[in-house]
This record gives sequence, structure tokens and C-alpha cells, in this order.
Amino acid sequence: MSLHYFALHTSVQCVDTTQLLKGVLDLAVLAVLREEDGYGYDILRRLREAGLEEVGDASVYGTLRRLFAAGLLTTYVVPSEAGPHRKYYSLNAAGRDQLTRSGKLWRSFATTMDALLDDRGMAA
Amino acid sequence: MTVTEQEITDYVARVRAALADLPPAYRDELTEDLPEHLAEVAAEADGTLVERLGEPEAYAAELRSAAGAAATTGGRRADRRFRATADRFRARLHRWDVQLGPPLGYASAGEFLRLLRPAWWMLRGYLAAMLVTVLTTGGTFGLLPSLNGSTLAGLVLLAGSVLASIWLGHHTPGLSRPKRRLLRVGTAVLVVFGLAGVVDMDGRARSGDFGYEQISIDGRYDHVRDVFVYDSAGRLVENARLFDQNGDPIRLGYPDCLDERDLNGSGNPLLRPYPYCPQQAPYAPRPPAATPPAPNVPPLPEPTTAASPAATPTATPAATATGTLAPAQPSPTRTG
Repeated sequence: MSLHYFALHTSVQCVDTTQLLKGVLDLAVLAVLREEDGYGYDILRRLREAGLEEVGDASVYGTLRRLFAAGLLTTYVVPSEAGPHRKYYSLNAAGRDQLTRSGKLWRSFATTMDALLDDRGMAA
Repeated sequence: MTVTEQEITDYVARVRAALADLPPAYRDELTEDLPEHLAEVAAEADGTLVERLGEPEAYAAELRSAAGAAATTGGRRADRRFRATADRFRARLHRWDVQLGPPLGYASAGEFLRLLRPAWWMLRGYLAAMLVTVLTTGGTFGLLPSLNGSTLAGLVLLAGSVLASIWLGHHTPGLSRPKRRLLRVGTAVLVVFGLAGVVDMDGRARSGDFGYEQISIDGRYDHVRDVFVYDSAGRLVENARLFDQNGDPIRLGYPDCLDERDLNGSGNPLLRPYPYCPQQAPYAPRPPAATPPAPNVPPLPEPTTAASPAATPTATPAATATGTLAPAQPSPTRTG
């Protein structure tokens, strides 16, 4: 999946990356949380490490809030030995379900886009 | 780490101000992670928060749109209005902060004030030492602290509290929230105490009474420079000594004349008997009284008196007294 993001990232930079990110950030956040629970800054770091370098801090926090409000995430607080307590987010059943559906949708969309670009002779 | 606690607080305040129109509970939810997040961002690299994250208002706009903010959860209206007012006030403070900066030669007034922070730590330590002084001695606010009346101990206390205050200043950001609140209350107490102390000291300085306190309870004898004792016959008694009920010598005045008796150096002139200066006696029959009828004491008694003291100490004074009252007459009874 990260390969797709990367392709997207490099091939459409002249377009508005933030616009594209808006559409896929929900999915990206859900995907990042599938492997492991995380707190805000941690999730942001994972997204950046995965190649979404231009994701905005506020966008991630806002998205987390929205996904939580939509019932796709659960939260719990973990006391940290250094510094303040951290609020961890984890996928619940609804979140995992949503991830599967959105993931499929994205893949088909991306495949369509790739094919479209390939047809016009553009390398990924 | 170049980002300070203050910068984080300011940033959060501006983000919250930009979200002031949202229901408070919802806004709290949106921004609850923000301080911790900013601390993480601050820790990862150099640069100000604005350089790294953009203006707080832009951050707030992004947060709002990403969260799809349109929720209308509850929140009491009065509470909301209060928060909106508080945020507007904070935003105004921020504007003043920025506007006052350039006249001072800094980007913001806060930046200038932050430079003064160590100076404030030292002042805080001093005020704490003065508070201890005033509380323990119940005295007035002077210039130097003292402990149990000892200025030296006071200076040690001063050094200790200044160092402690500086240490505390460096460690304030690491304190937990309740401790920080406690610190804030303590600071407020010190500020009020310091202002009151300065006003009090100013008042005393203006009235000319700079903390001077009379030591003797009865000041009636302060002007006394010498003591003259007269016997019932009005004759000046020389070499008199005064004692109180405890047998302690009473010391009054100070010899301001040269006394030939003391020329051989008996040390402390205050140990001389009264009067210090017999020639200054107010009622002295200065000219030698016309020699009263003195039947058995012939012309000059000096030789006899000079010889007699050891033999008949009690008899001689009477003899001299009757003989002459000449001021220069050396006293025969130097028994003390």
C-alpha cells in the first residue's frame, strides 16, 4: 500500500498534494493503526515514515478526532514515565471493517488511475 | 531545545482562540493533545513552533476542517461566553505582546521579559528571605534579611533562598500541574508581600525614621554627660560610684575633659568615678571656701591627709572636707 502512496506522492506533486491527502488520510490513519495502537504524535511519525511527508500535524489530530467521533476508534490513556499521559488510539471492530472496505475501494481506484495513466503512456 | 514552555502555552492559546466559536467541550476535545504534541515537536528539532507548524490560526483551520467540525454538542451558554471572552482577552494580550516588542527592541514583549527571568528568580529568592525575616522576627521590612537577629545568618539565608529560587526557576517546566499551581500561588504571595514591604519602607524613609529603634527604654538620661554628687551639706563628693540594685555599675555620660588622674593610663575612661570632670561641677564652690573655723587643723592639711589614708580611711575624708574644698586636692580615698 505504501508503494501506491509513494507513486502518488511523486507523480502528482505538481498537483495539490494536500488535496489528495485529504481524500485518503482517513484510510491512511486507519491503516497505520491496524498494525499497532498509537498516540497522536506517534501516528503522525508513522505516516511520515511511510512516505506521507506532507501530512499536516493538525490534519492528523483532526482526523483522529473525527474517526473517534464516528465510532471507528477507541481511546485509552497510558501514563508515560517521562512527561504527560498519552492518549492512545486503537482500531475497534467497526474501524477494522471500515479499513477493509475503504482499502478495497482505494485499491480499485488506484488501479484504475494507474491504468488510465499507463494507457496515456505515462510511467508510474 | 529552543522552544520554551511559554511558546507552547502561547501557541495553544492562539489555536484555542481561533476555535472559540466551537462548543467548548468539542474544542477541548480537539485541542486536548495539543500541548503534548507541541512538546514532542519542540523536542525533535530546532526552530520555533511557528516555523515548524505554521501560524496557530492556520493550524486551527486545518484541525477544524480535518475534524469536520460542525458538531453542536452541548455546553452551557454562560460557560461558553466566558471562554470566548477569555480567549479574546488572550488574543488581545498576544497582540499587545507583539506590538510592544519593537519599541523594546525585541520581536515581542514576551521575548524581552523572558530574558529578565533569571533576574526575577534572584528577586524572588530575596523576597522569600525577607518574608522569612519578617515572619520570624515580627519586625519591619528592612533592606537585609536576618535570622534570630543575626545579619550573618540572614545573609546565609539570603544566599540559600536565591540559589533555591534559581534552581526552581530552571526546574519549573518539569513540575507537575498541581505543584506549578502551588508555585504560582506562592509567587503571588511574594509579589504582594514585596510590594507592601517596599511601600512600607518608602513611608519610613520619607518620615526620616529608617528603622532606627531607641534601645534604652527611658530616654530621660540620654543627655547626661557627667554626674555630680553632693552631700547633705552641699559639698561636691568626688570619686563617687553609682550602682544599681544588682550591684552593677551605672554608667552615664562620657568624660569630655582631660583628667590628670587618668594620665597614667588606667584604660577605659568610663571606669573613672564620678564626676568625670569635677572642674565642671555646676554648683561647686569653686573658689576655695574661706577656711571655716578649723581649730585643730592648721594651715595646710595636705601633708596630713596624704599620710593618713591607709591608717584612718574613714577619718580623713572628714578632715579634708573640713580643711579645704580645693578642686585640685587629690582625693585620699582611692579605695576602689
